[in-house]
Amino acid sequence: MPKCTINGKEVEVKEGTSIIEAMQQSGDRIAHYCWHPGLSVAGVCRLCVVEIEGNPRVQIACNTMVTEGMKVNNTSEKVKDAVKWGLDFHLINHPLDCPICDQAGECGLQDQYMEYGKYDPEMAEAKVKKHKVVDLGPTVVLDSERCILCSRCVRFTEEVSKTNELGLFNRGDRTEIGTHDGMLLDNKYSLNTVDICPVGALTSKDFRFRQRVWYLKDGDSVCNGCSTGCNIKVYYNKEGLFRIKPVYNEQVNGHWMCDSGRNAYKFVNREARLVKGVVAGKEMAPGAAAKSASEVLKSTSGDALALVLTAQYTVEEYEAIIKTFVEEFKTKKVFFWVNNKETFDTFDGLLSRGDKNPNTKGLLKVMEKYGITSTWADLSAGLANGSIKTVVVAGPENQAVFPDYNERLKELSKAQNLIWMQAGKNDALTALTGNVWIIPMKTFVEKDGTFINFSGLEQKIKKVTNVVSEALTLTEATLLMVGKNLALPTANAAFMPNNQRDDQVTLEARKKNEFVFRRGSL
Amino acid sequence: MSEVKVLTEFYHLPEYQTLAGYKAKGGYETLHKAFKMQPQQIIDEVKASGLRGRGGAGFPTGMKWGFLPKNGEPRYLLCNADEGEPGTFKDRMMMERAPHQLIEGMIISAFAIGSNKGYIYVRGEYVFPIECLNKAIKEAYAAGLLGKNILGSGFDFDLDVYRGAGAYICGEETGMISSLEGLKGQPKLKPPFPAVQGYLRKPTIVNNVETLAAVTYIIKDGAQVYRKHGTEKSAGTKLFSLSGNVMTPGNFEVPLGYPLMDLLMKEGGGMKPGRKLKAVIPGGSSAPVLTAEEVAKANLDYESLAGLGTMLGSGAVIVIDDSQCMVDMLGVLTHFYAHESCGQCTPCREGTGWLNKVLHSILEGRGRLQDIDLLIKVADNMKGKTICALSDAAALPVLSFVTKFRDEFEFYVREGRSKVKGTTYAEMHH
Repeated sequence: MPKCTINGKEVEVKEGTSIIEAMQQSGDRIAHYCWHPGLSVAGVCRLCVVEIEGNPRVQIACNTMVTEGMKVNNTSEKVKDAVKWGLDFHLINHPLDCPICDQAGECGLQDQYMEYGKYDPEMAEAKVKKHKVVDLGPTVVLDSERCILCSRCVRFTEEVSKTNELGLFNRGDRTEIGTHDGMLLDNKYSLNTVDICPVGALTSKDFRFRQRVWYLKDGDSVCNGCSTGCNIKVYYNKEGLFRIKPVYNEQVNGHWMCDSGRNAYKFVNREARLVKGVVAGKEMAPGAAAKSASEVLKSTSGDALALVLTAQYTVEEYEAIIKTFVEEFKTKKVFFWVNNKETFDTFDGLLSRGDKNPNTKGLLKVMEKYGITSTWADLSAGLANGSIKTVVVAGPENQAVFPDYNERLKELSKAQNLIWMQAGKNDALTALTGNVWIIPMKTFVEKDGTFINFSGLEQKIKKVTNVVSEALTLTEATLLMVGKNLALPTANAAFMPNNQRDDQVTLEARKKNEFVFRRGSL
Repeated sequence: MSEVKVLTEFYHLPEYQTLAGYKAKGGYETLHKAFKMQPQQIIDEVKASGLRGRGGAGFPTGMKWGFLPKNGEPRYLLCNADEGEPGTFKDRMMMERAPHQLIEGMIISAFAIGSNKGYIYVRGEYVFPIECLNKAIKEAYAAGLLGKNILGSGFDFDLDVYRGAGAYICGEETGMISSLEGLKGQPKLKPPFPAVQGYLRKPTIVNNVETLAAVTYIIKDGAQVYRKHGTEKSAGTKLFSLSGNVMTPGNFEVPLGYPLMDLLMKEGGGMKPGRKLKAVIPGGSSAPVLTAEEVAKANLDYESLAGLGTMLGSGAVIVIDDSQCMVDMLGVLTHFYAHESCGQCTPCREGTGWLNKVLHSILEGRGRLQDIDLLIKVADNMKGKTICALSDAAALPVLSFVTKFRDEFEFYVREGRSKVKGTTYAEMHH
């Protein structure tokens, strides 16, 4: 464990720690672009320079390992000057199109220039023009002029996705990134390149020009796209959710997440959601719809009542509903609707798992606790012979990962009474006639709870915002179905994060962003 | 004192290119001797000779070999024949006139370092040298000098020529390794150094053509005989490519420590009639320029030139007479380096382009007086700030030209034309 001194403070680090990592450990700020903790060291931006006692030249902190007794500083005039010039080198051919750049508000170049920049720029020559609006593939667009050639994206495709679509082409100040001949940036993790691009060179086709980031709020959550449970940040405002980005968690997802997980925001937005409850073809408030189901549940309790659960709800919700069914309604006919059985146990080697549910382990744990042993065959038989009269379904939140949805809907609708709880709209569902209850449910960003991922890791989710405020959690629906009352929120509270005024913009990324300038009041 | 032909003794003989001609002059006899030595003995002999890398950096060859790990891991020997430094053309002559000399040097070196595979990385434009090398390698294989169990020694060594696609930076050892690996020719971060992790992440030694050729002579006659030439810190002879405004440009082999003025006047035949010496770039275009006064004090060795703030580099001596415009010359150099920067490190990628633009603004009559200081500031902030030395190579000429010939730059800015030639850039070039 070598000890070094960084800006006068003694720091003890693990063997093999680079100076830049040691500085992060000691809380010292350092300019950098190309270094990324999840990628190999490129050492090309030359911004993370430090002075090391006994060394006449400044050195880069990303490729210099800490040795015992090393004395490092990055506050000397020599270092500051080197960084200022380094930033000017970055800027001389970078267009000043911040007002129309999609990265504005989150741009590392802007932020670092504010903190370390050379405020008396001397470049008077014409800038090198490069390609604009380069279509790299289905998800990402490149503006080559803005690229500062940090090579993070290239290294990502080489080292993380291992798809090698990107490369650096040409030489000198004509260098550009691009895709190799005949290739597109088309892999399951392509949008991570946008996350790690420190400027507005790589932008997400899905997100670009849809919102200015300063009009967005954000909140932490856990992706419900598969059983990995990637830690995420959800970006939203009154208009809805706009994007999802990964949050570092060494135990779960490291720095990355898959593209399909990023699409989770789409089925959360209001246009994709069930807003009104429906009972026998008649629209009503979700709470009223749930409560109206209490009579039929009481009358068909016992073995005539079945509960079908998908693994897309929280542990707490499972606890509430299974306990109720076992103890109040006296039935152990609880069934796990396993989607995509054939691919359930697959894994792509990085993050994405074939089990496209966030909480399979959570569901199984609660089922085990209540001694549930029912199989789908029992349900099918019960429906076929008419012994099961009422079926309650906690349907999928993300219908796209349930390829057997229509088939199951058809099978379950054989019941005399079908109580279907679900977050998203579905034409086949709303087209059902007869004794059908449709109850709108909340999504994972609208509630608190616990997901247990594939490895058994319990992760808490917190409510980020309300999108359909009148929708119910499974717990709330359970209480109402038992006949209890709830104080339900009104629609007026929509899109309000917890304990926050709507004029407060708290972009967490900006507060914690390593690049952000700590300046005084203006 | 004049030329001392150690390496180039038989270069005038056309048959020296062939295996028979080379053998007739004692070629490959040293190889027999080397195989009777222990590899470490060869390394020790090279160390004792004081041989320094002839490619430009001047790093002690034996010491470089000593950095190889002792774990018996497979290792590679790469011959750097990229020779991209403007003004340098010595390796070309060696490959054309004496390819077997290089091959013999490589076999001995490979035996010393325990490598069974070598590549000669030649710049793509060198079509004829590549033909010469390939022909010689074929002859050597046929004669059992390459391949399995060379001369019954039990030592195997395979050798191939690799033709580069033409990038200056592929002459930098890690850039060369990237290129050889099939990647874009971009230098790699050091550490790890190639001797520890080089080609295909295996220990690799990269030596220049001239360095490897010199190994044969060191083993043949012994380190002490080799050391009789040159100075204490710069041992042996060295090939100098003399170009520019002298009567008889060409390659000349002289002992290190040889007076620069003698090279110009004796080997180079002096200045052209009516012309005066103005400056000399002593070690390839990246070396800081010397004024005529400094040239008079300079000897061609590492320490003398370092004392004058410049370097021996690859030994490419470029002579500039009083008819030359330093602004225009620097314009050519900055254009070259802006074109050749690999684009990896920001100060080099953007700085070389910036220098080129500022210089051409001046040349095209759009310059401002502050641009002269700007050139110095930009160059200063490129120096020592990048993975490889291309940034320094671009910056050092700028710093030395502008500092030592500032009056020419100021005149150009004020008048919009060359102080020396009296003409504008357009008139000079069209």
